[in-house]
Amino acid sequence: MKAIIDCNSFYCSCERLYRPDLWNRPVVVLSNNDGCIIARSDEAKTIGLSMAAPYYQQRDQIVKNKVAVFSSNYHLYGDLSMRVMDTLRTILPPHCVEVYSVDEAFLDLSHLPPSTFHLFAKELRQTVEMWTGIKVSVGVAPTKVLAKMANRLAKKNKAASDCVWVLDSPEKIDEALSQFDVGDLWGIGRRYADKLKDQFGITTAHQLKQMPEAWARKHLGGVVGMRMIRELNGEPSIPLKDPLEQKKMIATTRMFGKPVYRLEELREALASFVSRAAEKLRRQGCAASHLDVFVVTNGRAGEQYHYDPRADHRYVLMPRATSLTHEIIAYAMPLVDDLFRDGMKYLKAGVTLSMIVPDSEVQQNLFTPQQNVKGKALMEAVDNLNFSMRGDVVKYVSSGLTRNWKMRQEMRSQRFTTRWEELYEVK
Amino acid sequence: MDGEVFYGAAYKGSKQFRQQEVRTADATGFGAAADDYAERGIDLNEQLVRNKPATFFMRVRGDAMIGAGIHDGDVVIVDRSIKASSGKVIIATLNGEMLIRRFEKGFNKIRLIPDTSKLSPIEVDPYADFSVWGVVTYVIHAV
Repeated sequence: MKAIIDCNSFYCSCERLYRPDLWNRPVVVLSNNDGCIIARSDEAKTIGLSMAAPYYQQRDQIVKNKVAVFSSNYHLYGDLSMRVMDTLRTILPPHCVEVYSVDEAFLDLSHLPPSTFHLFAKELRQTVEMWTGIKVSVGVAPTKVLAKMANRLAKKNKAASDCVWVLDSPEKIDEALSQFDVGDLWGIGRRYADKLKDQFGITTAHQLKQMPEAWARKHLGGVVGMRMIRELNGEPSIPLKDPLEQKKMIATTRMFGKPVYRLEELREALASFVSRAAEKLRRQGCAASHLDVFVVTNGRAGEQYHYDPRADHRYVLMPRATSLTHEIIAYAMPLVDDLFRDGMKYLKAGVTLSMIVPDSEVQQNLFTPQQNVKGKALMEAVDNLNFSMRGDVVKYVSSGLTRNWKMRQEMRSQRFTTRWEELYEVK
Repeated sequence: MDGEVFYGAAYKGSKQFRQQEVRTADATGFGAAADDYAERGIDLNEQLVRNKPATFFMRVRGDAMIGAGIHDGDVVIVDRSIKASSGKVIIATLNGEMLIRRFEKGFNKIRLIPDTSKLSPIEVDPYADFSVWGVVTYVIHAV
């Protein structure tokens, strides 16, 4: 049996942890730069606040309903996410926990006796909530796709389910499938949902379950579609991923706090994104040899943003895979110079590192100097300092000292769990 | 600590160290003898953080618990995985506020007791929004 544990309105839950006055009030969290709503508590959903419309258009409604509004506080969310995952790894053997996203984890429950699933899921929910203060929902079923469905049912019927839903018999599974919209299945995007409805008249998950595998192979994205049919039939076909699997691509992309017009500022921003991406790269013990740099400018005629793959994107293949920030910055800067056009209004930029290999397997190239040991020691020192002192105390001058372009976060809560100087004060 | 359930998620970091981190491992003189007995020094986390994912720090403002040795400006360590029982110092939530007080549970009433004569105990109304946020396990006080 598989389970998925999913935090309820995770970012809002985090904001509420230290704010009992908000436990029954609507809460929303805004995106970087306070542009739009990215998380809503149940109360905020009920009053009809939307994730799609910009925040400023909904301000009247927010004021009228006394909605608590927060800028995103990723330091807090990241720390609480780690606590949730650590709690799961304490209760279950670590290899039975696959962290799927910041607020979701798949669990392998095959070692538990079947009669205990419901009780176990309930205890899991209670323990996570008690230890970390984060409310979660648990869905249990024979496969990942079905567990995702169970989780959705638990969340939709919170009062009846107590946030736990177990599909442990063929009858229960079929009953759930026949009432479940095919478009709500995990892995079925809107495009496929429309295609299934319009071309094949398939509207419920149960109808999809009965389709032959060969059909799925042809019409539902090949092997992926076949796996979907098998999972719907209770046959586990998407294994728990090795949580230590290396990322094949690492990206750091940000909106600017205010538009950037000058080359120096653009260079600074991208140098700092490279630093962040390289740090992630080193954290998984890898090196990369492909570097992409891109920018997004303000849109013309009706569009909010504009991205022209030819003008706004550059890449370079570095002669040897590296994880050293200064080496990557040195490759990135000429790309930025090449991209920059005077008079443009830059709103967003990013870097991507790919062609990733483990650091130990870096191929030496005859024509480039040996990977220098000193550089690695330097990076280790920089990473240690930044980790223990927090907040980039050591950074490259090329990434700027004033950072005018940094994101706007006007309503951010304190970083209660990661900063001594921002601890919660209790009377 | 008086026999709380131990969940085993305590801070383990200080027990994991590699041979390369032993400073005297490659000593050319007599260092090698001590090497056999190498262990990592005492780490406060082992003592103060019993269950890492459930442990939170807070700063105390005011003298509500001064009699218990918890002063204005001190840092308290709060463990959410411990069940509150009578007599423990807790972080309570009451009608939307967070308070540090001693928990007293009678037959059918709950009281929050300060440790100073300047404040009076709070009788928790059965219909009030009350919960235990966590149990205070240690206080860090600068001398």
